[in-house]
Amino acid sequence: MKWGMVIDLKRCIGCYGCQLSCKAEHGTPPGVFYARVLKCEEGDYPSVRQVFLPVLCNHCEDAPCVDTCPTGASFKWEDGIVDIDHDKCVGCRTCMMACPYGQRYFNDKDPHYFPKGTTAYEEKRVVGHQRNVVMKCNFCRERVYAGKLPACVANCPTTARIFGDLDDPLSEVSRLIKERGGFPLHPELGTKPSVYYLPP
Amino acid sequence: MTTQTAKYEQLIQDLRVQLRPQREWGEGRGLFLVIGHFLNGIAGGAWLMSLVFDSVAGLAVGFVMAALGGTAHLCFLGRPERFWRMVWRMKSSWISRGFLGLSLFLTGAFLYLVPLFLPGAPWNAGSLLGQTGYVLAFAGMIILIGYMGFVYTASKAIPFWNSPLHPVLYIGHALRGGVAALLVVAAFGAPSAAPEQQLLWMWIAVTSAVALLFAIEMHGAFTSGNVAARGSVHKLLAGSMAWYFYIGTLAVGVAVPAWLVLAGWHSVHSRDVMALIGIASAIGDFFMKYSVIRAGTHLPLWIPAAPRR
Repeated sequence: MKWGMVIDLKRCIGCYGCQLSCKAEHGTPPGVFYARVLKCEEGDYPSVRQVFLPVLCNHCEDAPCVDTCPTGASFKWEDGIVDIDHDKCVGCRTCMMACPYGQRYFNDKDPHYFPKGTTAYEEKRVVGHQRNVVMKCNFCRERVYAGKLPACVANCPTTARIFGDLDDPLSEVSRLIKERGGFPLHPELGTKPSVYYLPP
Repeated sequence: MTTQTAKYEQLIQDLRVQLRPQREWGEGRGLFLVIGHFLNGIAGGAWLMSLVFDSVAGLAVGFVMAALGGTAHLCFLGRPERFWRMVWRMKSSWISRGFLGLSLFLTGAFLYLVPLFLPGAPWNAGSLLGQTGYVLAFAGMIILIGYMGFVYTASKAIPFWNSPLHPVLYIGHALRGGVAALLVVAAFGAPSAAPEQQLLWMWIAVTSAVALLFAIEMHGAFTSGNVAARGSVHKLLAGSMAWYFYIGTLAVGVAVPAWLVLAGWHSVHSRDVMALIGIASAIGDFFMKYSVIRAGTHLPLWIPAAPRR
């Protein structure tokens, strides 16, 4: 079993639904984005197009963040999900320098978005996160183990995100990667990511 | 705008650009990491040079620098109270190895130095405890001198640091720092077996080697074809880090001490001049580390050549 995700760049319309649903699901503090959408332009005038690139932790098979973490706070579950034990993190941020996908964030900002202080929602969801530690996406592990899809996948209106078992050759993710030439980001680094993109 | 809001806005702005600057190491509390690496480099180098030139005062300087460096590291950590956990990934993490090295060094140096400075100490430097301290400090010194460059080389997100030359460069910096420490120590009249001329020759040799290695690394980064590495070189030579690099590293760290060395070559350097050479050289090393760390740029995520259907 190796959880993975396929993101169809042809289907992504850049609505930021994944980014918002992730924020809502995890109540991440300001400055912490488990899921983001990048807007990119491709081509030269007059053949220019805009492409949206949703990004998240790539849950690499050879995760450099796990290797460089001095405390063992960054670790891999047996199903391939890379996670952080916040009780062990010392906040050295080495993992942030090691992650070639820039998907780790240091939580050192005030846990509220508005100048007046924390709202009732933030009191309940945002304040509970540990301060001065590194945070990242964990493929919504709690949801996955409850038989649900990760929040970003479940809330994508165009079904541009597909989640499944990369080890199962019959799974939809494996089929899409094979049939549509799915590619990971920066394969040359040898990190073997579990997030694949289908060409736009 | 409060500092926190400004920090948030800065992050959001950074996330929008293709070449995202590295800010965690070197900015704000991250400055403590640069200071820590700078002091630990000097500590390792000073210990080595002091052993070579038999300078007890130099050994003490090495110990103090390592203690200050360790404190700076603690100040940098987000959760310093958990520092003891940093020993758990010795197999793969250079930070863990560095932590081990610093711990060995501080313990060993303490055991070795106490009887040298306190004649009434319950053990002497030649005893089993003193010699154990010597061995521990020596092992710690080797790790201290070596590990820092590897910490940066292991950073796959920052192509400018991800170079095999980086560890060698950091070893060079440590040696330069060691010579600088001995020059300052000698200026205060501490006894050592190092003749002035020999120290200055060593400074010239190490500085030349570091300069050559740095030039090769810069050339490699600039011609590597990696847009982030090129961006870092640009930032260092013509961007926001240029002043630190030209004034701090080249002018203060190389030109001033080189001029002082050459100006008094055929006579005897005064103690003040020796100290000035050492201090200027150390300041240069600090700015070198600072500017190189701050010039770090994250690998861009988007690949324009993404295959199309």
